[in-house]
Amino acid sequence: MQADLEPITIGGSSGDEVSLLEILDHVLNSGVVLHGSLVISLAGVDLVYLGLNVILTSVETALRNLEAGGVIEKRASK
Amino acid sequence: MSRVLPYCAYLERDGLTLPHSGVEKSPVAVVQSGSVRLLWSEIPWPFQPEHLQQNAVEFHDVVHHVFRQTAVIPFRLLSTFEDAGLLKRFVAEHQVAMAADLDRLASYVQMESVIYTIAERPGPAASGTEYLRARAQQAGTIREHAERLSAAVADVGAEVRLRENKNGIRLFALVNRGAEHGFHDAITGVAVPNGVSRRISGPWPAAEFMSEEVKMPALVTRNE
Repeated sequence: MQADLEPITIGGSSGDEVSLLEILDHVLNSGVVLHGSLVISLAGVDLVYLGLNVILTSVETALRNLEAGGVIEKRASK
Repeated sequence: MSRVLPYCAYLERDGLTLPHSGVEKSPVAVVQSGSVRLLWSEIPWPFQPEHLQQNAVEFHDVVHHVFRQTAVIPFRLLSTFEDAGLLKRFVAEHQVAMAADLDRLASYVQMESVIYTIAERPGPAASGTEYLRARAQQAGTIREHAERLSAAVADVGAEVRLRENKNGIRLFALVNRGAEHGFHDAITGVAVPNGVSRRISGPWPAAEFMSEEVKMPALVTRNE
């Protein structure tokens, strides 16, 4: 079933520059949720569910800024 | 201090290549139970906020290394287990459900389109009623466009779902591997209304279409 998957990321105001934020959004916001284990720690400070929401909100804010034409670091599509 | 970070689960088959390193350049290991294999790394803990962007790309690269070859169940960055023993118990307890999802989704990938408004907000002089009316009109335009897109991709998507969020609507389609450009063509064939923008992205692992048992599994607890 080997297939050559070509990433498609287009649209919005910044073309391919959306790739990195799409990646951030997916690795943080898509996939198995280990509920009950969402005790995460950043910089030595334990955060629980609320903390994760704060991170996700930051990503959403970044996406909105991108949609408004903000500049983000570019990562070439593979 | 370290923790165990799971990347993704997949079904074992001949010929798969695996990544050697993952987040923070940690070696990638495999835990197996039945036909299910799960990639993980022991990583430095806690996460450093200044590394989050790099860690996200490293995590994505591991998952997509396998996803390019076969269906995967992705985990989320920042979700960790205390040690490898707990991870092994978790895989053993959920391997039947994971194998069923991986088998069901084996020939599919997930394509997405995010639809959002670019219309300016009503000015400060607008009354509350005018503001609410403008917002309702924007929401209606987005919803109508999302429904047109949903109809447009119906022929290329085995299943299509719409999910509203505060910025707009996200469309998820379960598409046959290799038919990604059919989704792209179907979306771009629909004109974008004024005041609306959209992005297309994919292919991604079919996380939106995983069963609830796999998406939100009951967590194993440590035996004291």
